[in-house]
Amino acid sequence: MRTPQELERKKPAKKAAGKRGQVDVARIVDVLKAFSVGQYGGRLDLAAFEGSPLLDVARAVNATADHVEAEIREARQRIDLVSSGVDQAIEALVKLVIQGDLTGNLRLGVADAALTPLIAGVGQVMETLRKFVTEIREAALQLSTSSAEVLAAATQNESSTSAQASSIHETTATMEELKGASHQIAENAQMVASIAEQTLSGAKTGEGAIKAFMTSMEKVRQNATEVDDAIAKLSKRVERIGTVVEVIDEIADRSDLLALNAALEGAKAGEAGRGFSIVAAEMRRLAENVMESTKEIKNLITEIREATHAAKEASDGNKRMAGEGEKLGGNAMQSVSGILSGIQETSDAARVIHLATQQQRTATEQVVQSMAEIEEVTRQAQSGSKQATGAASELTKLAERLAELVKRFTVE
Amino acid sequence: MSETCEILLFQVGAGVFAARVHDAVRIGSVRDVPAEDLVVITALGTPFERTRGIVIAAGEDGREHTLVVDQALGVRSIPAADVRALPPLASECLASRAVAGYVELDGALTLLIDLRALVRERPGAAPTAPNQRAA
Repeated sequence: MRTPQELERKKPAKKAAGKRGQVDVARIVDVLKAFSVGQYGGRLDLAAFEGSPLLDVARAVNATADHVEAEIREARQRIDLVSSGVDQAIEALVKLVIQGDLTGNLRLGVADAALTPLIAGVGQVMETLRKFVTEIREAALQLSTSSAEVLAAATQNESSTSAQASSIHETTATMEELKGASHQIAENAQMVASIAEQTLSGAKTGEGAIKAFMTSMEKVRQNATEVDDAIAKLSKRVERIGTVVEVIDEIADRSDLLALNAALEGAKAGEAGRGFSIVAAEMRRLAENVMESTKEIKNLITEIREATHAAKEASDGNKRMAGEGEKLGGNAMQSVSGILSGIQETSDAARVIHLATQQQRTATEQVVQSMAEIEEVTRQAQSGSKQATGAASELTKLAERLAELVKRFTVE
Repeated sequence: MSETCEILLFQVGAGVFAARVHDAVRIGSVRDVPAEDLVVITALGTPFERTRGIVIAAGEDGREHTLVVDQALGVRSIPAADVRALPPLASECLASRAVAGYVELDGALTLLIDLRALVRERPGAAPTAPNQRAA
């Protein structure tokens, strides 16, 4: 570059030279302006710069343009080369992806250092894809297996849930029946308790009746003894009467005999003894009347003896029966005492049962309520189980689909 | 006034018989009579009971025998004409010679017994001569 002093010294020549220089500079500027917009095809006419101090500049500009164009061409060639490699890589990738063959490595028809990272990256991508596909295949296989198991489990679960729901429904129905039965049992227990109370009261009344019966039996036995004594006395009296009647009968018989002999003697006496015979006949009639009467008395005594004997037997029977009645009463008393004790225990037990059945009824109602809630939950679980089964089925299908898709990729 | 006949009526077993009152010494009880003096089984039959006896003096020695009867029914006075002899056929047919005839009492025929002859022909008694048969 020239200093301002040099320019000041050469001012006359400078004027002509300055005009040319301005032209040259303008030419150079035009070319540079074209360069600045990427048009490197323009060149400076070096002949026009002969003698110009800007000749070297023009040469340098043209050389720069040439160099830049060369660089551009080289860059374009390289870009084309790299683009071709990239296209090949992409095409190879697409082809691999479409065909699913991940067994090989990427080989390009061009070689460029710039493609090395790409090739390495594509190889890494393929390796990653192989790993992914392998893992996905294994995962799909496991998924298929697991989904099948899940489906089986879900199906089993659904079946179990259905069975459980059915069982719970039946259990609920049974519990409803049990609730009714518990109610009935509670009522029956209350009735049993009431009956036990009544039975207890009745048994106590029976105990009193047995005591009265035993008192009556004692009285009957005493009366029978008194009757026995009276019968013995009566029997003695009757025997005494029999003796007296025998005497009377003997006397009547003798009277009859005397009257008969008197009549006989009267008859022997003939007419003189007629009156005697009449008196004897009357005496004999009286004696016969007496004998008839004594005969009736004997018959009556016989009947009285038989009746007395029967009364004695009846009295003995009464005493025996009274004794047996007292024994039976004692046995009955013991039995009633045992029954009273048993009924008391039964009554207590019935009350306990009544309370227990009331609690059971309450508990059963709670169980029924809980069973209803469980049934609702089970129904929801059943619905969820069906949904899970459906989802598992879908999952299985998806796993199969995934497996089918993964099969398209070959990694070995 | 018609002639009468006094008869003693007695019963042996089921049969009622008559005897003349003079044949009987008395009527007595058999309880106090020795057994050998009792006449129980005769042609009239066997009495049911042994309470009454008709005392008869049958022997020539005046020994008394007691004919056991069931009942001494009494003494009756009947017309003598009512006393009938047995028809010959009946007399021959009867085994006992003590039947002296018959009387009709209250429309029924009653055999009239010779008590002495009856006692004499009792079992074990001495045979009776034909001329001793009662008329």
